[in-house]
Amino acid sequence: MAYSAKVIDHYENPRNVGSMDKNDPQVATGMVGAPACGDVMKLQLKINDDGIIEDAKFKTYGCGSAIASSSLVTEWVKGKSIDEAGKIKNTAIAEELALPPVKIHCSILAEDAIKAAIADYRSKTA
Amino acid sequence: MNYFQIFGFSAQFAVDINQLVELYQTLQKKVHPDKFAHASSQDQLVAVKKSTLINDAYQTLKNPLTRAQYLLELRESDQPSEQASFSDNSFLMRQMELHEMLDDVKHADDIEHAIFELSKELNTGSAELFSTMQSQLDENTTSSNLLAGDNLRKLKFYKKLQVDLDKLEDQLFDD
Repeated sequence: MAYSAKVIDHYENPRNVGSMDKNDPQVATGMVGAPACGDVMKLQLKINDDGIIEDAKFKTYGCGSAIASSSLVTEWVKGKSIDEAGKIKNTAIAEELALPPVKIHCSILAEDAIKAAIADYRSKTA
Repeated sequence: MNYFQIFGFSAQFAVDINQLVELYQTLQKKVHPDKFAHASSQDQLVAVKKSTLINDAYQTLKNPLTRAQYLLELRESDQPSEQASFSDNSFLMRQMELHEMLDDVKHADDIEHAIFELSKELNTGSAELFSTMQSQLDENTTSSNLLAGDNLRKLKFYKKLQVDLDKLEDQLFDD
């Protein structure tokens, strides 16, 4: 299967790979996995007191599309409020990366990672 | 006829693999194309279809994870979609650690030892999940089947790690 140029670009030059301290009260962590292919994705967001995402890091073990989806998401969420970030849809990710139908679940995983991170943030600040 | 019935088994998780292999070979001989060389094209087609079905049944039942999956489908257990994300935090954290261990294998001073240690971790982790899943499938209630499905999904993550480790071993020791 051929990957699109955008997937290859994110795969070869992934943005914002890394980890933040998950115990930092400003850091929200979202962990999700895809049982069908065994992919594991961790997305971390650094959120300031105004609810704006200042920084994002990811670590993904999975195929090129899963890595590209999470890499893209870290670029997209930076500077957004958590409410705006929570509205990012997998369809937009899939479209941007021109994912084929069999790889749509990678974009779903990335969307769910944002939601999981936001849920973690809300439980930390509650 | 379901895949278990093809081999005369009752629909349960425990399957005698030696018996399965033997029955598979016996059944395939009965529908072998050579036996139908002079038969009508209709009969030839039926034989090919049967052969395919026997093969699908065999492949599904031979592998414990696909067998468990098939059994849950037969029982019409209400499992989340294959595409649905999995979000058991502590389990996924552990998976991350295991993937990190796998990344470190090729940089280890003693590669064989690193592989041995990781294999041990993978075996321990999956053996525990496997035996839990097995008893949940044997219990066969709505709730135990749901839990078995959960453990089956976890086992798929371990399976992926095992495949990756095998690949790495091939790379490291073949050149």
